[in-house]
Amino acid sequence: MSAAPSDEALLRRFEPVLRCTKGDRFFPMDVESYVRACSLWVQRPGEEPMRVVPGGKLTLETLPQQPLDGSGAVHFLRFTDPQNLPEGEARGVGALRERALRGLRETREVFRAGRGRLARVGYVSRFVDALYSITLLARGRVPGEAAGMAAVAYRRAMEEREGYAYHGRVARQEGWTVLQYWLFYPFNDWRSGFFGANDHEADWEKVHVYLAETEGGEPRPEWVAYASHNYTGDNLRRRWDDPEVEKVGEHPVVYVAAGSHASYYAPGEYLTELDLPLPRPVARFFRGARGFWRERLGQYAGGDAGDAAPFHIPFVDYARGDGLVIGEGGDRAWGPPRVISEPAPTWVSGYRGLWGLYARDPFEGEDAPAGPMYNRDKTVGRAWYDPVGWAGLDKVPTPAEAAAAALGRRGDLETRREELRAEIGEKSNRLKELGAEAAAVRGRSHLDARGRETRRRIAELSEEVRKLRARLAADEAVSGSLAEYAGRMESGERDPARAHISRAHRPASETELRFSRVAEAWAAVSVSLILVIFVAIAIFEQGHLISLLVVSIAFFAFAEAGFRGRLVNLVGSVNIGLAAVASLILLYEFFWELVVAAVLVVSLYVLWDNLRELRR
Amino acid sequence: MAGVRLAGREPGDSLPGPDRQSYRPVRAIGLLLVLEVVCIVALGAYEFSRVDWRQVVSAWVVPSREVVEVGALILFVPAVVLTLLAALGFLLLRRRGWLLAAISQGAVVGVCLWLYVEYRPVYVYPIMAYAVLMILYLNVHDVRAVFYPGNRKGGPRGPRRLT
Repeated sequence: MSAAPSDEALLRRFEPVLRCTKGDRFFPMDVESYVRACSLWVQRPGEEPMRVVPGGKLTLETLPQQPLDGSGAVHFLRFTDPQNLPEGEARGVGALRERALRGLRETREVFRAGRGRLARVGYVSRFVDALYSITLLARGRVPGEAAGMAAVAYRRAMEEREGYAYHGRVARQEGWTVLQYWLFYPFNDWRSGFFGANDHEADWEKVHVYLAETEGGEPRPEWVAYASHNYTGDNLRRRWDDPEVEKVGEHPVVYVAAGSHASYYAPGEYLTELDLPLPRPVARFFRGARGFWRERLGQYAGGDAGDAAPFHIPFVDYARGDGLVIGEGGDRAWGPPRVISEPAPTWVSGYRGLWGLYARDPFEGEDAPAGPMYNRDKTVGRAWYDPVGWAGLDKVPTPAEAAAAALGRRGDLETRREELRAEIGEKSNRLKELGAEAAAVRGRSHLDARGRETRRRIAELSEEVRKLRARLAADEAVSGSLAEYAGRMESGERDPARAHISRAHRPASETELRFSRVAEAWAAVSVSLILVIFVAIAIFEQGHLISLLVVSIAFFAFAEAGFRGRLVNLVGSVNIGLAAVASLILLYEFFWELVVAAVLVVSLYVLWDNLRELRR
Repeated sequence: MAGVRLAGREPGDSLPGPDRQSYRPVRAIGLLLVLEVVCIVALGAYEFSRVDWRQVVSAWVVPSREVVEVGALILFVPAVVLTLLAALGFLLLRRRGWLLAAISQGAVVGVCLWLYVEYRPVYVYPIMAYAVLMILYLNVHDVRAVFYPGNRKGGPRGPRRLT
């Protein structure tokens, strides 16, 4: 058996290759230089934020001290604090804004947005999107010049000492060795740079590689999981031999989305939708109505059955992989990793605050994230304490354990089957005895009450025995399957690589992106246009308000459906609406006639059914 | 034979997969649409035959409400033509038949609703009832699946909260 490699050697052996997107300005860096450039602030309830450590004075060692802590206090770092600018730098608002605009121009020069995100979704989503953008004015948000300032600060840090680094942790859990690659980006400029949902200072992303030991004790990669927004569970991970997992040697390739730094397995443009859920009772009503329409009436309802949220705000993650490549065979090599060993260093375990500006955004999108160990609310994050469960791997045995796990479960089932057989035998005997008692008391008037009670108990016991037999039969079938599965695992066979994936996040296809320029222009102007027309009708044509509103809505609906190729769905929906109105009219006009007709139909059906039975 | 007849069509226009079973509802709808056309035409002919048009034309006065109601049957002509085309589409197993049929039935119900609001002629009720049943039948999941087999959203949904 070979000697166990060190954690750092393991991390370096499987470290990922990052393929970034052209236009991205921030790349993974070591936290030390970032922290040194930041000031530390505290926000106590009901008070203005207070700077407790000025920029340049903070180190990884002093970070966990968190002065002025108290109930409800939030500590946060500020990377783009104008007061942190070195002497001689222009600090006026105009200068900062000019710098931000210059940075934005630089990004836009090299980055071209894909075909309109708005053209991919309907009116309601576009309208909600507009409202969401407007709420940014009222919500806490990262200032407009922050991205530009962060870019300047980051560039300065890179000029001093260019380096690309990750923070590695090796966690061992339930037979798996989890290589956690924590990637720290100084800024997320998804909103200001790439038409995304949010901006925030600091961005922690992660890539996990799951190793299992071979019979010879060698670690072998089995799974990978890339963090992508708040995805968790089975859909997040891929098996190492999945063709979707691109590799350079033993290094998995990660396509990093511009601005958001979400990680993807394949290059492309990903439509990411932020769901705005309905209030629970309304959602329950709609789910029930939809289920009745689809299941009971067999009608087409469109979309997925589980698609409960009717409002979605579309955003596009551009993970094109056409920018800087970091890692094995790339444009830049990884620097030495900062290994997070056990016990975790104090900058990980002791600092529970945010790693960037606390914008006090109620949606939290504009607030900086907490560190690798914590959530924003200071609880420990699942990816830290349960990296196996985070990717849905807690139910998956390692290849070496698969056959044993199946046989172990089969053993459990065998034991249970024995118990079931014994219970069924005992209850069957009891059932026969009760049957004899019921026969004995039948026809004896003074024992009528007892006879009824016995028959009730017989019915109950009979149902119980039936359920036990059904369970036994099911257990037998499962036991056989487990034996067969264990055999297959022992012979080295494996499950299909993608069997666990129910909804893989995939890039938009060429067909989905095939929007004409007219459709894009229409998507951009239609929401504003429809609102202006509504206002114009309300002001100038009040006499024909309803009819003109109906006509204009119909026009916009058909134009929209035509552009988006949804004419069939629109015609179907309009027809259902018309049919509902017509049905109500018919019901109102012919209520009693319809009742009589329904009774007649039922009676004729019963007659036909009975006659058919007679003829047999 | 259905499979032979489909062979000469343009790709994407004919129904996919020559599954004999799936043609049954298609032909049924085609026949029901033909029946609808026949009924409306017969109803129209009957209603028109009840009016003395020579007298109406020669009288030079505003026609009575009954005459206007009968005349309003003309409004069904476009919908009937569309229905006939849709029926032919279904009988020839064309994919476009569904959309045409849906538009025609929507038009029929639309005209019925307008007539109901304006005149409430008696003939509007049976036509309305028939068209409502046709709309529901056309919207049955299995029927739509025959014409638009890929028309189901199966794509992944994005995350619920963006960080």
